[in-house]
Amino acid sequence: MASAKSSGSKDTYSVILPTFNERQNLPIITWLLNRTFTEQNLDWELVIVDDGSPDGTQEVAAQLVKAYSPHVQLRPRTGKLGLGTAYVHGLKYAKGNYIIIMDADFSHHPKFIPQMIEKMKEGDYDIVTGTRYAGDGGVYGWDLKRKLTSKGANIFADTVLRPGVSDLTGSFRLYKRAVLEKLFESTDARGFTMQMALAVTAKAKGYSIGEVPISFVDRVYGDSKLGGEEIVEYAKGVLQLWWSI
Amino acid sequence: MTRAQQTISLALLVTSLYLSLYLGLIPLPAVVQEEIIPVLPLWSLVTFGAWLLVRLGWGMLTFRDTPDAYAELMEEIKLAKADLRVKGVDVD
Repeated sequence: MASAKSSGSKDTYSVILPTFNERQNLPIITWLLNRTFTEQNLDWELVIVDDGSPDGTQEVAAQLVKAYSPHVQLRPRTGKLGLGTAYVHGLKYAKGNYIIIMDADFSHHPKFIPQMIEKMKEGDYDIVTGTRYAGDGGVYGWDLKRKLTSKGANIFADTVLRPGVSDLTGSFRLYKRAVLEKLFESTDARGFTMQMALAVTAKAKGYSIGEVPISFVDRVYGDSKLGGEEIVEYAKGVLQLWWSI
Repeated sequence: MTRAQQTISLALLVTSLYLSLYLGLIPLPAVVQEEIIPVLPLWSLVTFGAWLLVRLGWGMLTFRDTPDAYAELMEEIKLAKADLRVKGVDVD
């Protein structure tokens, strides 16, 4: 892919946003992205991968494509095919040499993107990930039970996998495009354990990962998708990674 | 080398080291051989468990809440909605 450039003038940042029923959040996150990138004078684009949302997400997305032309593209799919394949799908259409992965529901605030870009340049990291658990990272909107579950899960994964990353399940990340493409080739994991798999695989392959503390504001609209079943899936995912990577 | 391979090889190493002490292959003072070596595995397990709990407790104590981030976000959402309506995007 691209060789090292001395100035940032040719860098394009592609945000891949998988969506399912995000009609309320999508316009606002797009507005925030537009504001951040415009303020920073960065070339950007947004690839929305919608899995056939029944709530009208695609209609709103079409309006955003017009309102923020030429930065926004909508690449829909016909059914709920899952997060991992959504990223792969989005990557096909993304034109940038840097890829940003994040959630569409404000838990990940675009204001941290410039910090991540800065961090990446500082240390020439292959990946920069937002962390809720280090520095002045933090969370808003979690009760004690949720905090316990999350911290417990993180300690479990950290002990079993020793990944050297403080927030293993975090999904707010900036990747060099070539690195992400390589990782997708070698990782089979899909579903929400994919984020963990990407980080652990990256470490195993010797890629460098930098961290930026972020504040994670949970679920302004909508319900959290964390239940007993997810916890079991998570534990299985961690053990599978332990075995295979 | 996978994490599993790393962990298992380390475990095997520690186990053989322990066995050599347990079977008296290395001369040790009687107190150590009789009182300490036999309980070492259980003690290690308990200590490890306690360590994990300390980490969890510490994590709970130092967990940062970010109410400012929430307040800021609420303000931004208001601004965003106003601007988006002008641009012809449906917002609630």
